[in-house]
Parts: sequence; C-alpha cells; structure tokens
Amino acid sequence: MRHLKLIASFFKVSTQAELAYRSNFFIRLLNSFLSLGTGVLSLVVIFNQVETINGWSLPGTLALLGIYLLLGGLRGLFISPSLESVAGMDGEIWQGTFDFTMLRPVDKQFLVSFRNWRIYALFDVVLALGVLIYAIILLGETLSLGILLSFLLMLLASVILLYSSLLAFSALVFWNSGFLFTWIINDLFQLARYPVGLYPDWLRLILTWIIPVGLMTTIPAQALSGTLSPAMMAITLIFSLATLAGASWLFRRGLMKYASASS
Amino acid sequence: MNQPMIQVRNLTKNYTVPERAPGLGASIKSLVKPQFREVEAVKSIHLSIDTGEMVGLIGPNGAGKTTTLKMLSGLLYPTSGEATVAGFIPWKRQPDYLRRISMVMGNRSAMNWDIPPLDSFKVLSEIYRVPQQAYQQTLDELIALLDMEALLKKPVRNLSLGERMKCELVAGLLYQPDVMFLDEPTLGLDIAMQRRLRTFLKKYNDTHAVTVILTSHYMADVTALCPRVILIHHGELIYDGDLDTLAKSLAPFKLIKIQFASPIDNFSEFISQFSSVEELPSEQGHHVLRIPRQEIPQVTATLLEQFPVADLTVEDPPIEAVIDQIYEEGSV
Repeated sequence: MRHLKLIASFFKVSTQAELAYRSNFFIRLLNSFLSLGTGVLSLVVIFNQVETINGWSLPGTLALLGIYLLLGGLRGLFISPSLESVAGMDGEIWQGTFDFTMLRPVDKQFLVSFRNWRIYALFDVVLALGVLIYAIILLGETLSLGILLSFLLMLLASVILLYSSLLAFSALVFWNSGFLFTWIINDLFQLARYPVGLYPDWLRLILTWIIPVGLMTTIPAQALSGTLSPAMMAITLIFSLATLAGASWLFRRGLMKYASASS
Repeated sequence: MNQPMIQVRNLTKNYTVPERAPGLGASIKSLVKPQFREVEAVKSIHLSIDTGEMVGLIGPNGAGKTTTLKMLSGLLYPTSGEATVAGFIPWKRQPDYLRRISMVMGNRSAMNWDIPPLDSFKVLSEIYRVPQQAYQQTLDELIALLDMEALLKKPVRNLSLGERMKCELVAGLLYQPDVMFLDEPTLGLDIAMQRRLRTFLKKYNDTHAVTVILTSHYMADVTALCPRVILIHHGELIYDGDLDTLAKSLAPFKLIKIQFASPIDNFSEFISQFSSVEELPSEQGHHVLRIPRQEIPQVTATLLEQFPVADLTVEDPPIEAVIDQIYEEGSV
C-alpha cells in the first residue's frame, strides 16, 4: 500500500516535470503513431504476399506486434526512465547524487525502478492495447477463457523478464559508472518485433535464453494463438522469476560494491 | 549516564585505487594487468559526540573528512572499527536509522531540478513517512527561518546557488532528523548568504538540539557554529577539543596593530631591543607586530609611553593562519 502511494507520488511529480515542456506532447504523439504505423504497414505488406510465415498468421503476428508495442510502452513509461537515471555520464552514480538515493529509508531497488515516469509513453500503451484488442477480435472464435488467462500470465512473465534484464544491465553501472549498458537491450529489443522462430538458430538461442527479448513477445503471442505448450509456459514462468531473482541479486551486489568503494 | 549520540572506535577505511604510470604504453599495460595500491583514507579514529553538539570536522583536502562522514552516515562500509549513531550501526542502513539522520552536501543536490521545491518536499515527506500535520508544521517553521516563501514555486533549475542551498537544508530537515551531516554546506556562497545559513543553523540547533557534524573550508563557518573541532590530517585524528584552546596552543602569539600620529624614524631600532617581537609587513598604514602572549602588557605599555600612538589594537592571528600552520606541519 505504502509502495503504491509512493508510486502515485513519483508519477505525479514526473508528470509535472514533463508537462513543463509542451512541445514534447506533440512530438511524442507523432512518434507513437509513427511506430505503430510502420509496424502495421510492414505486416500488411508481408501478408499481402503470403498467408502465413513459419506458421504465423496475420492475427497472431498482429498480436505479437501489440505485445511488442505494449512492452516498449511500459519500458518507456517507467522502467527505462527510472533505471537510466542511475547510469550514464549524467547519471546519479557518475554525478555522485546516488548517495542521496542510498540514504532514503526505502528499498533501493524499488526506488531506483519506479521513481521516474514519462507520461507520454501512455500513448504507446494505449495504442498497443488497441492493436492487441484488434488482434484478439480477429482471432475471435478460437479464444477461450483458459487461453486468455494463460496469455495474461505469459504477458506478466514477459514484463518481469524485460524489467529484470534491464535491471541486471543497469546494475553493471556499479562496476563501470560512466557507461550506459541498457542500450544493449534497447537495440536488441527491435528484433522482438517479429516471431523469434523467423531468425536463424544461433540468433534464436541468444534471443530466447541469453538476452531473452525474443521470448518476451513470442511466448505471449503463442499463448494467445493457443500454440504454447503447458511445459513451455511453466519454463517461461520459472525462467522469468529466476531472472528477477538473479537481477535483484546483482543489483544488491552492486549496492555493496558502491558502499565499499565510492569516494 | 546518557549514551553519546555518536560513538566511534578504531574506525578505519582503506581504499584500493588503480595506479598507472603516465603514457600510452603504461595505459595499454594497465588494461591487461592493472596495478592497484592500498590507500589509508581514515586511520583508527576515536570519537564521542553528545546529543545536540555541533562539531566541526576540519582538515585539508583529502584528509579523510568526507570518508568519515560517509561511514557515519552509512554510505560506506569501514575496513575495520566500530561506530554507533543514534544507537544504530550506520552501514546497516536500516530504514529506522536513515529516518534519523540527514546528509546535506554543498556540491551535490538532492532536489529534482525540473519541478518547484514544494513538490520535491512533498515526495520526500512521503518517503520519510512524515504525517501531513507534522510536515506542514515543520515546513512552515523552516520556510520562516530561512525566509524563502518566494522560492517555493519556482523550478529549482531557476534558483540561485544560495536559494538552492536553502532548499537542500529544508529537504534535509523536513523529517526532523536527530543527526545532521553537513558537508561543505556554504561552498561557493557569497558572504551574506553564508552568514544567513550560519544564523539559521545556529537557531535550528538551539531549538531542536540536533547533533551536527560540519565540514567546511571556511573557518568562519566553524568559528561561528562549532565550539568543538575535530582535526583530521592524512586520515589521522590530530586534535579534538575546543577551537580556542587549539588556537592558543598553536599560536602563542598575538598581533599588535599600531598607527602613529606622526612619522617615526627609530621604530625598527625600538623593535630590535625585544628579541621575541617580530615586525610583519604593514597593513593599511598600520605597523603589525607579532608578540608572545605574555609580553603583550609590557610591550604595549612601552609603545604607548614612548611614541605618539594614534591607534593600537591587539588581535589574535586569523584562524586561517593557525589552521594553515597545522596543515603545513601535519601535527598540533
């Protein structure tokens, strides 16, 4: 409850800060529509030529695009703005203001993960939900309550995976304070726009298990299409929770490193 | 007997720092096989500070002041030794501990620069779980003391350094901490603003009995606020006591500044009869003499008797000169 209240406060303050720059509103709106437009357009072009790609139909691929946009929206809404304020040359660790974060009587991982919000990313989230709902309507009759629930569960696992990966990469900043490591995820994340099965084997392995951006979109989309096995569902869930535990551990190690070496 | 607010025993901090010879070759070599060196930043310090005390932690750059403050606030693990602050071990950083201390740094800002201070204060009050009524009361008090009503609605980005520092102090005191670590709070401020902040800190300490450790390179901060000073040099505590005693033990001299009603020819000759009196460069038409404390009455009497004196003052040497002497010599 207290954490939710704090999140509400952080959201309010971030929004105030962002609304101070009015032109951002229009630029971000344009940006959201462009990224949706190019995504949908490329699918329309492809599916004008073929019925399915590697077993993926238009509705399934559209659902995947919706998931991709939704994860991107959540990433832009709070995960990246919060985590990235720690790293980089203008980040807290480099500037020395991370000392204040360390001294706040709140869980540090919570504080670092939720304190900055970019309200305009809500456009992306809303548009993504629109695409997802449209895909669900297209899939229509094939959907059951069980499929919808498993989809939501896998979507949650994906959000956890995305957050954990970004947290883990952000935690590396404690070992190299001037450098922003999260760009690795941000760049690779582009590849999650398409089903991971389309990529060559070696890349698929990397995108599934090492930097699991492929897993994040493909698995929930498969769940929605009803093609995901219960075993894979369980593995994904366990994998996402293990990644979260690993990332938190790395972050805590990072804090310990900070507390023994900073000056 | 009451437990001291801050108790420190044998506190030591060593850093491992990378070491590299100059030049490209050495840089490449250090990439493959980095060399490290152990630096003793703080060496076995003992301290005890009571509730409500204001203590000045002084020493030259790199003496270990900030490292000591960081260990006491819980930002750094010590290499060895013990410390308790308000009954807690600082580096465990328990939330209950963090709510009782505050760190204000002159060179780092805890404020969000894009929004007005009032909004930052509100978020802080929630982070520190300050009840609404207590928050409003404390805020009103601090705003009145610092005379900063007009600043509250401007984004921090648009405030001057002095105005921003007032905000940092409010941010640090909103939740009424028992212990305050002030690291160079007046850094870069003009004289008037320095004086205003000092007055504020003094008043706040009088009414709230907050325990303060202050580091500053402006001796005026220390002389105005801290009856007790702790002097650190090369990581070692070399003095802990009151400032006056330190000045007296270090500077057993006083300065006599004298101006004559008419020009004097044989003044240097007169000086030479006292072996312990030294003439320093004159200041604004005043002759300046450095004299051992115990000889002041005799020399002053002789001067007044033999010369047409227009003005005569006896002063302590400036504290900066005294401190500078310790930094140079490395001991008290």
